[in-house]
Amino acid sequence: MPEGATPKVMAVVRKELIQLTRDPRSLVMIALIPLVVMLLFGIGYGGSTGKVGIVIVDMDGGQMGTALVSAISETPTVSVKANAHSIEEARTMVSKGVAPAALIIPEGFTSSLLSGSPVRVLVIIDESSPTLASTVKDSMLAVTYNFQQEFARQVHGPSVELIYNSVYGPTVTNLEAFTPFVIALVLQLVPTTLISIAICREKEKGTFEQLIMSPVGRLDIIFGKLAAYFIATIADMLITLFVAINVFGVVIRGSIFDLLLISTVYLLGSLGLGMLISVLSRNQLQANQAAIFIFIPFLLFCGGLAPVELLSPQAAAIANVNPMYHFIMAFRSIMIKGYGIPQLLQPVAALLVYMGAMMSIAPAILKLRVE
Amino acid sequence: MDPSLAVEITGLRKVFGTFVAVDGLDLRIKKGEIYGLLGPNGAGKTTTIRMICGLMAPTSGEILVWGYRMPMERDALIRITGYMAQKFSLYEDLTVKENLEFYGRLYGIPRKELAERVSELLSFLTLEEFSGRLAGRLSGGMKQRLALGVALIHRPRLLILDEPTAGVDPPIRRMFWEYLRGLNKESVTILVTTHYMDEAENCDRIALVNRGRVVAEGTPRDLKRRVFGGDLVEVTVRGRGDPASALSFCRVIDRQVAGEGGPDCALGSAVKLRVLAQDAPREIPAMISALERAGFTVLSASPTYVTLEDVFISVVEGAGRVA
Repeated sequence: MPEGATPKVMAVVRKELIQLTRDPRSLVMIALIPLVVMLLFGIGYGGSTGKVGIVIVDMDGGQMGTALVSAISETPTVSVKANAHSIEEARTMVSKGVAPAALIIPEGFTSSLLSGSPVRVLVIIDESSPTLASTVKDSMLAVTYNFQQEFARQVHGPSVELIYNSVYGPTVTNLEAFTPFVIALVLQLVPTTLISIAICREKEKGTFEQLIMSPVGRLDIIFGKLAAYFIATIADMLITLFVAINVFGVVIRGSIFDLLLISTVYLLGSLGLGMLISVLSRNQLQANQAAIFIFIPFLLFCGGLAPVELLSPQAAAIANVNPMYHFIMAFRSIMIKGYGIPQLLQPVAALLVYMGAMMSIAPAILKLRVE
Repeated sequence: MDPSLAVEITGLRKVFGTFVAVDGLDLRIKKGEIYGLLGPNGAGKTTTIRMICGLMAPTSGEILVWGYRMPMERDALIRITGYMAQKFSLYEDLTVKENLEFYGRLYGIPRKELAERVSELLSFLTLEEFSGRLAGRLSGGMKQRLALGVALIHRPRLLILDEPTAGVDPPIRRMFWEYLRGLNKESVTILVTTHYMDEAENCDRIALVNRGRVVAEGTPRDLKRRVFGGDLVEVTVRGRGDPASALSFCRVIDRQVAGEGGPDCALGSAVKLRVLAQDAPREIPAMISALERAGFTVLSASPTYVTLEDVFISVVEGAGRVA
């Protein structure tokens, strides 16, 4: 290279950055999408926990029935939504979706209890929404447990009491639990979609033909573009982390540098993946579709929606090759458990392999040809 | 390999699926000349150009450009070659100056020298006042000049232009050719494709390309002589019947109805004939008397200027015979 000349890769970086600032579509994607996602997330997940309203049929009308109803009202996750007069009426209400469950206190509930006989309480439950149903079941168990503790104390009977003692507690809020997932979403979707048009737009518009008639190399093209998009999207990483910590008050128990480090590796992997899509796509439309399509398995098996370990052994196997899963796991461990990189060698190694693979495949298969 | 040759192509073929785009093309272009590839759309000119530039691999055949074997040695070729694609292929969201500077940097031109080179090109191509304008907002003629500027940024010795004047108004086309002649005087070898026949007259030598083959090759003047083997005479007659049959002793190239008198006119129609003569001054009187004997009124008869279009039509109609 002659003295005083700009390295070719820097020429590409500069050109790409100028083009990014002149493209309204890219600017919206870089700046607006992460902010909107974080805002929606804060509103939706940051408030106080919602309650599930259930239907009550009190056929007992006695002192113990009333005590059970008030025990329900005191539980943080459920509330009494409506009262019904018969089992049939309660069943209809649950089927129609008025409430996800109904609790029926049978006739003679008080007298049976006071005479020391076992009693049954019927719960009618809508299983069409499994998550809601299992929340209701958990709550009903908790209500029954509390009620029995209270009853045992009153009659001086024996009882077994559970005492919870948490690590990484006292409690992890919804916001904290989902922060790694949301940051993973932003760092996956925005850079991949954005950069996916980087090469194929040049091919579609014909600028590629002129570009490759200059002494530019494959590595200059690929890494010049990657560097420019990295500079543009690193803002997304910082915005999302900043909003989570300073606006939502998410507490980072580990090192912020560790978080930045794994986020940077993941961001580079996402950019490399998008670049690979761009090299393989014939046009911008195809590239955008591919970027969104590839996002679906990432999302399904990342452990953010449902714990993959509980889904199936197949899901766990797929998750193991899903970089988003490793990222969320590492991020969560640093944020909530306060782990450092040395305790996270396996997910961090997985992320590095992913990043390295993505960064090397694209330049290897880019052809400086017009076909 | 002959060091006086800029481009040497032997038996070049390019097949896309079942379509043969280039079918055994041979070409010898000398250093220092303006060489034109002339032919209709779809003749295989762009495919040939792309293979010369190493942008496409040939199916078979040999390409030597400036002594470099293509596409294997294209890295060496790129340094000395300026290229202008058929479709405008610069960045529309960069300004005129940014486009020039970007390419200058890719060629590794040092900063200070690049600034000088850019302003030199802006002034040569009279683009100074548009240097800050986005390329996408330029007119067709300005885009064309910018594309030429980018092709020239590194002072190439070989300039390859694929239909540089397509879709540009004739006065601007003439101006563009002034630039090319100016560059050629500074010993830049120019390979240009066009389907404008009049434009090809500007070339030192031309190859007529049809269906992926060179069907005739030479200087514009040579080609006309060789293809027609003589002079072209334009004869306008009026009368009934076919005037060509009266001229059976010479070759009628082209015939068209002229003037207002349509075919139904009582006097018959005015017909303009282009006739090939071995020696125009000697044969014109014979033509006139033959036509008058056949009952035609001869309105005019004179030697005429042969256009490359005439050459092309003649060659393509008699394809194979001339090549």
